[in-house]
Amino acid sequence: MTHNALKQTRAWRVFWWITAFPRTFIVLGLALIIACASFVPSLVKDTRSDAFLPDDEPALVYRDKVKDIFGLTDPMVVAVVNDGPHGVFNPNSLALVDWLTEEIARLDNVDPDRITSLATENNISGYEEGMRVESFWEAIPERQEQADQVRAAVMDFPLYIGSLVAEDGSATLIVAEVSDQTKAQQLYEDLLMLADNAPANAGEQIHVAGEGAVSGYLGSYIDADAQRMNPLAALVITIILFIAFRTLRGALLPNFVVLATVASAIGMMAAFEVSFFVVTNGLLPVLIGIAVADSIHIFSQYYEEKARYPQDSPREIVVRTMVHMWRPITMTTLTTQAGFFGLYLASVMPPMQYFGLFAMIGVGAAWLFSVTVVPGWLSLLKLKPSPSYRPDPQPGQARVDYFGRLMTKFGKSVLHKPRLVLAIAFVMAVVGVYGATQLELNESRIRVFQKHEPIVKADTVINRLFDGAHYLDILVETPEAEDIFKPQNLARIEALQSYIETLPHVGGSTSVVDYLKQMNRSLNEGRRDAYVVPDDKDLIAQYFLLYSASADPTDFQEEVDYDYRLANVRVSMNSGKYSDEKVVVESAQDYIDSHFNAPGITAHLSGRVNVDYHWIKRLGETNWGSVGVALFMVWLMASLAFRSVVAGTVTVLPVTLTVLVVYAVMAASGIWLSISTSMFAAIAIGLGVDFAVHTIERLEVLLRDEHRSLDESMAMLFPSTGRALFFNFLALALGFGVLATSKIVILQEFGSIVALAVTVSFFSSLILLPVIAKVFRPRFLGFENGVKSLRVNFGISESEQSN
Amino acid sequence: MLSLTRQILTGTLLIPVLLIPTISVAFELPDGDEVARRINARDEGVAVARNLTMQMTDRRGKTRTRETRAFRKYYGEEKKTVIFYLEPSNVRDTAFLTWDYPNADKDDDQWLYLPAMRKVRRISASDRGDYFLGTDLTYEDIKLETRIGLEDYTRKTLGEDEVDGHHCYLLESVPVDEKTAKELGYGRVEQCVDSKIWMVRRAKFWDIKGKQLKTSHFREIRQVQGIWTQHRIEVENHKTGHNTLFIFSDIDYQHGVDDELFTQTALRRGL
Repeated sequence: MTHNALKQTRAWRVFWWITAFPRTFIVLGLALIIACASFVPSLVKDTRSDAFLPDDEPALVYRDKVKDIFGLTDPMVVAVVNDGPHGVFNPNSLALVDWLTEEIARLDNVDPDRITSLATENNISGYEEGMRVESFWEAIPERQEQADQVRAAVMDFPLYIGSLVAEDGSATLIVAEVSDQTKAQQLYEDLLMLADNAPANAGEQIHVAGEGAVSGYLGSYIDADAQRMNPLAALVITIILFIAFRTLRGALLPNFVVLATVASAIGMMAAFEVSFFVVTNGLLPVLIGIAVADSIHIFSQYYEEKARYPQDSPREIVVRTMVHMWRPITMTTLTTQAGFFGLYLASVMPPMQYFGLFAMIGVGAAWLFSVTVVPGWLSLLKLKPSPSYRPDPQPGQARVDYFGRLMTKFGKSVLHKPRLVLAIAFVMAVVGVYGATQLELNESRIRVFQKHEPIVKADTVINRLFDGAHYLDILVETPEAEDIFKPQNLARIEALQSYIETLPHVGGSTSVVDYLKQMNRSLNEGRRDAYVVPDDKDLIAQYFLLYSASADPTDFQEEVDYDYRLANVRVSMNSGKYSDEKVVVESAQDYIDSHFNAPGITAHLSGRVNVDYHWIKRLGETNWGSVGVALFMVWLMASLAFRSVVAGTVTVLPVTLTVLVVYAVMAASGIWLSISTSMFAAIAIGLGVDFAVHTIERLEVLLRDEHRSLDESMAMLFPSTGRALFFNFLALALGFGVLATSKIVILQEFGSIVALAVTVSFFSSLILLPVIAKVFRPRFLGFENGVKSLRVNFGISESEQSN
Repeated sequence: MLSLTRQILTGTLLIPVLLIPTISVAFELPDGDEVARRINARDEGVAVARNLTMQMTDRRGKTRTRETRAFRKYYGEEKKTVIFYLEPSNVRDTAFLTWDYPNADKDDDQWLYLPAMRKVRRISASDRGDYFLGTDLTYEDIKLETRIGLEDYTRKTLGEDEVDGHHCYLLESVPVDEKTAKELGYGRVEQCVDSKIWMVRRAKFWDIKGKQLKTSHFREIRQVQGIWTQHRIEVENHKTGHNTLFIFSDIDYQHGVDDELFTQTALRRGL
């Protein structure tokens, strides 16, 4: 289009009008930012792992019901370990356990009545005349023989082995109920401090763990790191902007768009009372990257226009820039929004849905600022040429800098062997499909933390030495009160426990059955052969009476409900990995269906392990669907934007290849498909499609509207759009690359995977799309005589071809 | 461990000495020790037979009800108690027998009879702070009934109050030391003591960390055979949401209680 013809377009009139009121738009923009930002302080953080599940998720609802019935909590766990020959059964270590028990009872947020340790628990033993209930020690043992006696007593008490003491005697636990779970993190820190100050001797270690601690710590751990990483990402991107344009405005004005984008997305979240979830941390770099991308393309065009027509007024140059750029920017905005809308539609987890929704809002805000405030602001500034773009002696041309020349060279080499490129892409796609099928669905909460974190060490030690700290609860239900007393029902529970204890990673299980056996033994002179459930309903009822009579009123509530209709079997697993939990949950469910359930008794799985199993499974089941929906939405939007189904299809090719390649890389390097990585596909599609849209849009303009030859078009594509895309790519790849240096494993994974995805998208867009244009000559790019293979590949009918 | 009888004896012996200052400062509040002395000076009867219904409700509103017949008798400084379960039917004839000794060094003796086992088993003594038969009252609460452990607490009168329409003195008791507090499970006790009949009508308990633990109400206090007797105890545990209701009926102080009842043979034979 000629200089004058441009001025006849509606776009010219719109942007001429916008640049007539630059200050108004800047003030309006600032007002919008302030308005949105004013909501931010009311933002609520929600770092619970339960937040990933919808509130009506059946597994979660059931877990909470069971938790309520049995008063189950997530306690704090302190482990004392001694590697010496006597383990913890020596005077020093037992004194340490005693000391810790006393000190923990003093801490805020600990109920002193609900601490369990060797120092608080009773030894129930049987002898000839009756039953003895007494502390393991009246005074702390002073000699090794006394400690040996304690060991003998503890080891003769099956309920405590694996739960309170390690089977080999090397460790023991102090378990403290937390009064207020919302302050669990403070308690965790208090316990760490106590562990540091404890009078431990050589060979003794103290570890602090517990689900309550993990949840609270996890949230703040990720937040703290993200708060360090996000500004660093912004800094890296600003440096790249400066390298690209070598002007202050080129480096700073895009940051204004970033501010607007982030403020509107996060402000809207706060305004609509949506919580800031752990995954929302990933939204910030996505928004920064997108906000900057629009600016990079505008500034590239702006400085190129200045270099070509140095005599034009700043306002004319800005308006001409926008006339060229509004279309690709709008298209990339719409396709990116379509991708995030797909995430919103297809995700099963509320935090991901909100991620999609507010990413859409942020992308919209970036667009709004890029087409109003940015041109307005630029028209106000005195225009100095960018050192990166110098006028050519030939009028109407710009000289390209080093990066432009690099891109030109890159373009030439790409187009040199187009069929080889296609073949490589095809092979990559095949490998990618194979890789995607090999992807392992897995998750484990503890891996969030670095290996040297005390919480990881504690978790490892406790899971190694004890039955395990990951609980599967099995709720046994009977129709009538006191039905649990029936010997046949207790026998079923006992059989269920013995089956489950054969499964891998199951350390042990506890139910009323174990208490009844212990009581039977104690009341029968402590004979080992009396460690069985008595076959007499009345005797069982009397044992329960005796138990309830000899304990706190609420002591037994974790095993059986108050009218003896429901019982809980708590299974301890020493692994929190989904793949391990899957085996146990599925086997237990099979057993319950085929062997346990009968008229008058049923069982249901519950507990953290069951919840994790169900939703990670659902994450896996819905992952491909959500990738498909995101791709479909992008395809639909691109098809509409280019008014061509073929163009839409070609647009999604690079991102499809990207997703496949990244899945293959993940499978090859053993990265799991997990909470963090399952989001990457939708984000990669949303971000990566921009490269394809810009490339195709520019090719379309050069080939169809400006009627240039293919070679001329390619020669123009690479140094201008190619160069802008290159910096767009650098900004995104390095911005997310910063996350890869995070100390948090899941942020590392997230950052490096998205950086990889952006890289693949960039190269496949700039390599594959020109090659497709050259080889297939699709009609939407203005080719009149598409080669025959076009029909084969894109299903264009003969009649359409001849039109 | 404290002996009730000894308290009564010492209390009784001290009455003439302490009565004089009380009368002379009639318009001032009696001090803590005076209130305690008055409480402990009450007649409790040497022996008592009564029905006791124990109703326990958990925080979800589910209830367990136990019907029992209970006997208690003082043998000088020694106290013997036996409880026979009547209901529910599957625990009928289950029985607990306890001999409390005044000497703190000597552990109490306790026996249990489980009818389905047909055996009497000796069970070890409970600690004072342990809960009594799954209720919200501790063994010490039961042992003292409404009395005051003189040696365990220091006390003062905080003021006056009214409970169920009766004027009372507010008596605050604080365990003498941390060890005692831990044994008892209480960091502080605040009792509302009827100023006419010297019966505790309400008691509030705090745990050793100063958190409110439970509140007891002693109701339907009337004379039975000349002895002021509570017929209803309501205890609400604020920490667990659990609560307990004791209902006493068929109370008899007069007809004596057969010594034979407090033996293992009686346990086995049942009522």
